Amino acid sequence: MAGAKNHDYHILPPSITPLVGSFAALVMFFGMVMMFQPKVLGSYGSLVFGAGLIGVLYTFWTWWADVIREAHAGDHTPVVQLHLRYGMILFIASEVMFFVGWFWAWFDYSLFPEALKIEIDHATHAFTVTNMIGQEGAEAFKQWPPKGMQVFDAFSLPLLNTLILLCSGTTVTWAHHSLINGDRKGLINGLWLTIILGVLFSCVQAYEYAVAPFPFAGLNYGSAFFMATGFHGFHVIVGTIFLIVCLGRAYAGHFTPKQHFGFEAAAWYWHFVDVVWLFLFVVVYVWGGWGAPVH
Amino acid sequence: ANPAPAPAAAEAKAVPAPVQAAPAAATDAGNEAAAPSAAPSMDGSLPGYTPMKPDYENHVGMPKDRGVDFQEQFSPNGHYAKWMNNSILLPIITIISLFVLGLLLWVIVRYRRAANPEPSKTTHNTFIEVVWTLVPVLILLGIAYPSLTLVAKQFKPAPADAVTVKVTGYQWYWGYTYPDHGGFEVVSNMLQEQSAVKPGERYRTDDDGPRLLAVDNRMVVPAGVPIRIQTTAADVIHSFAVPALWFKLDAVPGRLNEKAVTIEKPGVYFGQCSELCGARHAYMPIVVEALPPAQFAAWVKAKGGSMPGEKPAEAAPAAAPAAPAATETAPAAAPAPAAK
Amino acid sequence: MTTIAANPADHHDHAHDADHKPGFFARWFMSTNHKDIGTLYLIFAILAGVIGGGISGLMRLELAEPGIQYLTGWASMMAGKEASLDEAYHMWNVLITAHGLIMVFFMVMPAIIGGFGNWFVPLMIGAPDMAFPRMNNISFWLTAVAFIMLLGSTFVPGGTGLGAGTGWTVYAPLSTSGSVGPAVDMAIFSLHLAGAASILGAVNFITTIFNMRAPGMTIHKMPLFVWSVLVTAFLLLLALPVLAAAITMLLVDRNFGGAFFDAAAGGDPILYQHLFWFFGHPEVYIMILPGFGIVSQIVATFSRKPVFGYLGMAYAMVAIGVVGFVVWAHHMYTIGMSVEMKMYFTAATMVIAVPTGIKIFSWIATMWGGSLSFKTPMVWALGFIFMFTVGGVTGVVLANGGVDDNLHDTYYVVAHFHYVLSLGAVFALFAGFYYWFGKMSGRMLNEFLGHLHFWIFFIGVNVLFFPMHFLGQQGMPRRYPDYPDAFAHWNEIASWGYAIMGVGVIIFFINVFWSLVAGRKAEGNYWGEGATTLEWTLSSPPPFHQFETLPVIK
Ligand code: HEA
Ligand code: HEA
Ligand code: CUA
Ligand SMILES: [Cu+2]
Repeated sequence: MAGAKNHDYHILPPSITPLVGSFAALVMFFGMVMMFQPKVLGSYGSLVFGAGLIGVLYTFWTWWADVIREAHAGDHTPVVQLHLRYGMILFIASEVMFFVGWFWAWFDYSLFPEALKIEIDHATHAFTVTNMIGQEGAEAFKQWPPKGMQVFDAFSLPLLNTLILLCSGTTVTWAHHSLINGDRKGLINGLWLTIILGVLFSCVQAYEYAVAPFPFAGLNYGSAFFMATGFHGFHVIVGTIFLIVCLGRAYAGHFTPKQHFGFEAAAWYWHFVDVVWLFLFVVVYVWGGWGAPVH
Repeated sequence: ANPAPAPAAAEAKAVPAPVQAAPAAATDAGNEAAAPSAAPSMDGSLPGYTPMKPDYENHVGMPKDRGVDFQEQFSPNGHYAKWMNNSILLPIITIISLFVLGLLLWVIVRYRRAANPEPSKTTHNTFIEVVWTLVPVLILLGIAYPSLTLVAKQFKPAPADAVTVKVTGYQWYWGYTYPDHGGFEVVSNMLQEQSAVKPGERYRTDDDGPRLLAVDNRMVVPAGVPIRIQTTAADVIHSFAVPALWFKLDAVPGRLNEKAVTIEKPGVYFGQCSELCGARHAYMPIVVEALPPAQFAAWVKAKGGSMPGEKPAEAAPAAAPAAPAATETAPAAAPAPAAK
Repeated sequence: MTTIAANPADHHDHAHDADHKPGFFARWFMSTNHKDIGTLYLIFAILAGVIGGGISGLMRLELAEPGIQYLTGWASMMAGKEASLDEAYHMWNVLITAHGLIMVFFMVMPAIIGGFGNWFVPLMIGAPDMAFPRMNNISFWLTAVAFIMLLGSTFVPGGTGLGAGTGWTVYAPLSTSGSVGPAVDMAIFSLHLAGAASILGAVNFITTIFNMRAPGMTIHKMPLFVWSVLVTAFLLLLALPVLAAAITMLLVDRNFGGAFFDAAAGGDPILYQHLFWFFGHPEVYIMILPGFGIVSQIVATFSRKPVFGYLGMAYAMVAIGVVGFVVWAHHMYTIGMSVEMKMYFTAATMVIAVPTGIKIFSWIATMWGGSLSFKTPMVWALGFIFMFTVGGVTGVVLANGGVDDNLHDTYYVVAHFHYVLSLGAVFALFAGFYYWFGKMSGRMLNEFLGHLHFWIFFIGVNVLFFPMHFLGQQGMPRRYPDYPDAFAHWNEIASWGYAIMGVGVIIFFINVFWSLVAGRKAEGNYWGEGATTLEWTLSSPPPFHQFETLPVIK
């Protein structure tokens, strides 16, 4: 809607995507609730959830397709690119705070391990952790990690994963420098390597989950561990997809040494994921597992 | 190692399920668990113990119709805290509010357009800005000193020989265990109005306490000596609160909170659960009955417990089979520090 | 950036182009225009305010006298069958939960940030729109679907009866093992959606304010309302994700056997409270800071005098925002915390009174020496300053951990937060609404009805909430559908206060509808020389796209 505009800001035409996306999110979440509660809400939860998810994915797709189209149409003036930079940084800042929540849980349990001071139920003593970690009773939680459980050896697969992510951090920087210097081949190679390393990381993580010596449910260590690393893993997957999109766009010749914010955003996101991992590695794997028998 | 579940708690343990058990039913079962040997009397009395009548005339331990102030306090910290509010905080906040109101009225009158057609252009005055930063700081420092003193007092641990009562919140009643006295548990349910119970069942009378505040079995403690109250919960978070003692401590599952209180005078002090705990949050009142130590000892006897130092009464475990036995026989599973 | 120095007045030249509006559906359902989105937010917030205020009317009706009068009937209506007493009690918890969540997340926040923020941040900084217009729209629609999700939750089982009865704080384990059924899951997802909407909105506001100020408008020349939204946006950005993590943990505990808050498995119920209040305390400033901003604009306008101590005012808000992040556990004094923690949180909480005092006194100093006219927005602003002070100083009482031992979870707390919310944030909302209605709609609200609304509302809410201090001091706990008879007197008076207030709200709506139809046409700057911010250089309502040529600030 250019009209007589005399500024470089991006004035957008109306778009149906936000409305569609919001209702798709509503359907998706409601479907999830249906899946949680089949007895009350019926057994079509996964269908509803799936429909909502498709809507949400469709929203992402059209939304970013629009953004890319607008970029090519020249709407992304320098000031608009600056907006996008701010937007991405602020978004990452909010993501950091999201992880603060999970780390908070971890520190709560690890710095202040509490023996259960009372039996949970006077009548039945229903509380037992026996099944979970092969240990009797409340005393198990007086130490961290809870007594009797095995943890991962930080210096085997997790260390490997640390190296993988660190490498991927350098390869994505390689790609970035190639891009700035107009070396498209370097860009594509760097991206390929980063993506491969990202996928590798996810595979190692998946393997690790598969052989985990402790459960997710019924144990504070398990819940905090899997949710913190799991959300990180989810971010790795999102970041990998983001990089794959960038790779496609690199092949299609979308990026120029001057204008390539899509790539930069992916790179920032990747670094963010990387840094979160370093914290996870130090806090959860090394320090948080200290002293416990390893798997 | 786990003893068979007692009927009362087992029934109440159906936590997540919609509650079907009528309050009256829980009351019955509770009575049974606490003192199965004695047939429940209609006024809660036991051999050697008759419940004290609440002091309605002086509103001891209960709210007063149209009351505006805090309830009269019956613990040393309560006196200090009430003084802290009524002599420091309340005057200060009243003066500040009136001061702000006065200034507003003044500018409204003095600087209304009719009185002051030409506005000044003043936008700065460093001196006044420093003043209205520093004066509040000083006021707050003045508040902080007694305030932190109060907190320090409240955290003074009870002496080793203090009487311990372990309070457990259940959905939706309280359990009071006396680990120093043989470990019997008193289960305390709200008393219903006469219109709400079946004929022959116990209902509330004014001797028990006001509507919604009276319970069948009170938490009985000695007056004039330090009491150590420990709180915990079996299902969700509750909060053990008695306004006239300036006492409120959350009862959190899996945790044991502790706070000391000394009740100055014998009397009946009412309180209510003060953390949202589900449907009947408003219907699990607290009644603390403080007795002269000798009468307290008699009550303990009547409950089948024993005074510290005494040889534990033979009858104790038999009289209160479920809870105390559990505490003592399963130390590995539940090393309750309460069980000294 | 193209910066063309131009006289703002020559907008009218191409006002025709700039005023080209899309068709109805595209305009309101596909909007990328900050003013239209702001309007949507305001309409949405008013709707939510009517629902949330209506629910509080049901609550006051039930509390008007001791005993259970209506709850059983309402619960039966909801369930479509005879409800048990327990279901009636549960209904109470559903009502207060819905009331708290609706007022906080769907009335105050959408109105004050989504509505006024969207409308006036771009106008005040001389920008043509927000930085991310399309994202702006999804912020609105996510809020809307979040509301649908919350309302939906009241029709499905949530434990003892239908709906989520956890309180707006959703404490575990009542919200995990203590509430079976989908209602709490839906309420949680509602918060996820509303939270996502607010985070995106925060990103949008920060980017807009940092990068789209008109040439010459340095950060220290921004109107205070813009400052307030900036600080608020940072609070949103940093606080909401922590809430998102906390409520995700609730979902995990509820549905996947997680042990975050399950003490039997080493979890910690108190952890939830820490996470919630780490969000929750900044949240209360999120609700009040934009109100501070609005009041600053109004006070300056109707004193015909620039704000006194502008920098102090701006940085006081920054200070409130920063300190607001390190005081959260004053909501948790009775959890059994250590003595050091209790002392720290007591001291830290009281610190906030200092920057807040700076604001109160600077408003008065702004009026000092001014030439005051008492148009409707100004009386609301004056009411705000006084009533907020009353609410603020009771906050300082609660800040004392030792004193709060008695007051926590009593009606004293309810009185405190309604003074800062229903007499603080809501007064600021009405003040802003009367201030800007002409700008937004092109029609003036009626002054007489406005004053009448103010006085009736002012008396009503004071009769409504002041006695709650007494109830609290006497020991009446919150979240109770019934109370001992000794509390009857003040409860009855409070309920009468609601009735008075309700008359005020009705007058408000009469005023709005009457003015929309027959109100006087509003000129560009209808408040005259005191109104100096950029929105007053535009027509009322402003062209669909304003500032097509950026204004230059000297
Ligand atoms: C707009 C929302 C808002 C605002 C601005 C505030 C402001 C403050 N609040 Fe409030 N508060 C709430 C909303 C708000 N609160 C809510 C919703 C709850 C309950 C949540 C729940 O449990 O559901 C709550 C609960 C609450 C508690 C917990 C009570 C309890 O549950 O036991 C406490 C305790 O410290 C507290 C303190 C304060 C303080 C110190 C301020 C300060 O910021 C106030 C500062 C202002 C002034 C002091 C007045 C002006 C200053 C002067 C004129 C200068 C001179 C003054 C002095 C020297 C004192 N609040
Ligand atoms: C902003 C927040 C807000 C507002 C405005 C209100 C307004 C009111 N509230 Fe409350 N309330 C809360 C937030 C709020 N409340 C919270 C968080 C709780 C705690 C819940 C819990 O325990 O979990 C609570 C709890 C609470 C209780 C305690 C319940 C209990 O503990 O058992 C009571 C009891 O009387 C009550 C009553 C009222 C009444 C009568 C009003 C009246 O003032 C309502 C009148 C209506 C209005 C003032 C709205 C009018 C506004 C508009 C129509 C929109 C205008 C919009 C524009 C101009 C753009 N509320
Ligand atoms: Cu138990 Cu509230
Ligand atoms: Cu707070």
